[in-house]
Amino acid sequence: MIDKNIDQLKRLKLRKNAEMRLKVYGILSISLALIMLSTLMISIGLSGYSALQQAYVKLEINVDSKKVLDEKGGFSNQKALLVNWDGIVSNSFITNFPEITKRSEKRSLRALMSSNAGYELRQYFQKNPDDLDENITIWLSASDDFDQYMKGRFNTSVDEKDRRLSNQQLKWIDFLAMEKISKLKFNTSFFVNADSREPESAGILGAVVGSTLTLTITILFALPLAVMASVYLEYFAKPGRLTDFIEVNINNLAAIPSIVFGLLGLSVFLGFFGLPRSAPLVGGLCLGLMTIPTIIIASRASIRAVPPSIKDAALALGASRMQAALHHVLPLAAPGILTGTIIGMAQALGETAPLLMIGMVAFIIETPDSFTSAATAMPVQIFMWSDSAERAFYERSSLAILFLVGFLIIMNSLAVFLRRKFEKKW
Amino acid sequence: MVDKINNLKFKTKNVSVFYGSKQAINKISLDIEEKQITALIGPSGCGKSTFLRCLNRMNDVISNCSVNGKILLDGNNIYSDEIDPVLLRAKVGMVFQKPNPFPKSIFENIAYGPRIHGIGNNRAELTDLVHHSLEQAGLIDEVKDRLDDIATGLSGGQQQRICIARAIAVNPDVILMDEPCSALDPIATAKIEELMSSLSKSYTIIIVTHSMQQAGRVSQKTAFFHMGDLIEYGETPKIFTQPDQQKTQDYITGRFG
Repeated sequence: MIDKNIDQLKRLKLRKNAEMRLKVYGILSISLALIMLSTLMISIGLSGYSALQQAYVKLEINVDSKKVLDEKGGFSNQKALLVNWDGIVSNSFITNFPEITKRSEKRSLRALMSSNAGYELRQYFQKNPDDLDENITIWLSASDDFDQYMKGRFNTSVDEKDRRLSNQQLKWIDFLAMEKISKLKFNTSFFVNADSREPESAGILGAVVGSTLTLTITILFALPLAVMASVYLEYFAKPGRLTDFIEVNINNLAAIPSIVFGLLGLSVFLGFFGLPRSAPLVGGLCLGLMTIPTIIIASRASIRAVPPSIKDAALALGASRMQAALHHVLPLAAPGILTGTIIGMAQALGETAPLLMIGMVAFIIETPDSFTSAATAMPVQIFMWSDSAERAFYERSSLAILFLVGFLIIMNSLAVFLRRKFEKKW
Repeated sequence: MVDKINNLKFKTKNVSVFYGSKQAINKISLDIEEKQITALIGPSGCGKSTFLRCLNRMNDVISNCSVNGKILLDGNNIYSDEIDPVLLRAKVGMVFQKPNPFPKSIFENIAYGPRIHGIGNNRAELTDLVHHSLEQAGLIDEVKDRLDDIATGLSGGQQQRICIARAIAVNPDVILMDEPCSALDPIATAKIEELMSSLSKSYTIIIVTHSMQQAGRVSQKTAFFHMGDLIEYGETPKIFTQPDQQKTQDYITGRFG
C-alpha cells in the first residue's frame, strides 16, 4: 500500500481538476467549431438547394424547315441567324392567353419568358433538325423573376411599383402554374452551361472546366519544381548562409498574400512574356508559384521524416546520393509529399485574388477548351455571381459554393486515401 | 593461432578526423590484415565508429567532417581525387548498428546493390546472386519461401542478416560492422558471430563492438581506442590477457568505460 498524506492528496486533486478543465475546454472549442461549420453549411445549403430546380414553360411550336435548312437539308447557321426565334417563342407563349390584346400587356407577358428562350429553341432545332415542320412540345426557360416567384423566393409584400413583377404578371404565373403549363424541373443548364447574364441560363461548367485546366497547369508546374527543390535542399545543398537564406525565404514566400502572386503574374507572364489574358495557363502558373512553398515545406518535412539509416544503407551499398534519394527516400516520402501537394492544390482551387489580377475575372460565356482560351475559375465565378443584382444569382452562387466545397472535400479525401495507400509500415 | 602470413588490406597513417573544430580521432595509424576479423573496442565516444566510417568514406556525408592523413586500401589512397566514394563503398561494404533493411521485399533488398552496379543483368542471374548471398548469410532456409515478403517484417536478427547478405551481394573485399549486435538478443548475436567467423574466410571484417566478450570470441586482432587515441593494437588473446598499456588493462577489467 502507498501511504498518502493530506498534502499529496490535495495536489492529486488539483492535478485532476486541471486535467478535467483542459478536457472540457477542448471539447467546448471543438463543438464551437463544429456548430459554426454546420451553421455555415446548412445556411448555404438552404439558400442553394433551390437552384437545382428551374422554372420551365411548356410551349407548342412548329418551325418551317425552309427557314433554317440549306439546300442539302443540313442546319444552316446563316439562315438560322435571320429567324426571329424570340418572336416564335413569344407568339407561342401568348397563345396561352387569348384574351390579351393590348400591346403593353403583351410586352409584360413576353417578359415572363427568358430572353434566352429563343436561343434555347434554336439550339434544340440545331440538334434535332428532324423535328422541323412538326408540331412539337418543348420546355423552355422562364425568366429569373418567374423562377424566383415559383420557388417562393419573390418578395410580394413590397409595393407593386418597386417590384420587378406586377400583380398582373403574378396572376399570369399563378395561372400557368395551375394549368401545369409551367413547372419546376431539374436545372440542367446549371451543369452544362458557362456563365450568362441571365441567371436562368448561367451554369457552373465553364468555371469547373476553367478550374480544372488551371489546376492541371498548377500541379504540372509546381510539383516537379517543389520536389526537386526540396531534394536539393535536403541532400545536396551545403549548409551555410546561402542555404539558410533560401530556407527562410521559402518560408516567407508561403506567407505572402496571394494577390502579390497575381501582380507578379501580371507583370511577368502577361507583361514580359506576353502570354494571353484570362488564360488557365497563366492562372495555373500564378497559383503554382503560390503553391510551390507549401509543397516544398511539406516535402522537406516528409523527406526528413525518412530515417537516415535508409539513406546510409543505400550509400553504404555504393549508391550515389541521387540514387539514394530517388530509389529509397523519395518513395518513402511520397505519401507526405502527395498530402502536401493536394493541400496546396486545395488552397489553389479556392484562391481568387491572383486570378483577379490576370484577368480571369472576365465574363466568359464559352466553356474553355484549351489552356490558352479565356476562362474563369470556380471561386471567381462565385465572386461574380454574388455581386450580381438578380435574386436568382444568389441561390446559384450558394449552389456553386456547395460545388466548390464538394470539390475540396473530394481532394482532401483523396489525400487521406493516397496517404493510407502508400504509407509503408516499418 | 595466426600462423599464416597475411597481406595487409588497409594501411592507415596519421588519420585525424575533425567535426568542425572538434577533434574526434587523433593520428591513428593502424594496419588491417586481409581475411581476418579486426575488432575495435573502447568506451563510447572514443572515436572507433568515426574511424570505421573513414574506411568507406561514409563520413563524407556529414557536412562539417574533415579527414586528414592517409588511408590506403590495397595500396591506393582512398581519399585521393581519383577514387570515387561510390565505387569505394562497393568494395568496402557496411553493416550498421540498427538493422536497416529497405522497406521492400527481401529479394529487392539483396538485389538492389547488384542492380545499381550492373552485376547480374537478367532475372535468372540476379535470382542466383540473391540465393547465393542469402546462403552465405545463413538465412536461405529461413526465407527462401518468402522472398517477396517485406524485409522489415522479419525479426531483428534476421533483418541484420539481411543487411549482411545485402552487403555481400555486391561482392565487397571488406565488410565494416558498426556494433552489429547491439540491438539483438543473445541468440541472434550468437548467429551473427558464427556468420562472421565463416565470412572471414572470404572477406576482411572490421567490427566495432562494445562487448569485450564478443571481441574476444570473434576477432583475431583487437585495437583499443580511448579519447580519440589508439592506445593499443595487437593479437586479441594478448590484448585480453597481457595488455601492454595500463589503460587497456583498466578497460578490459571493467575499471572504467
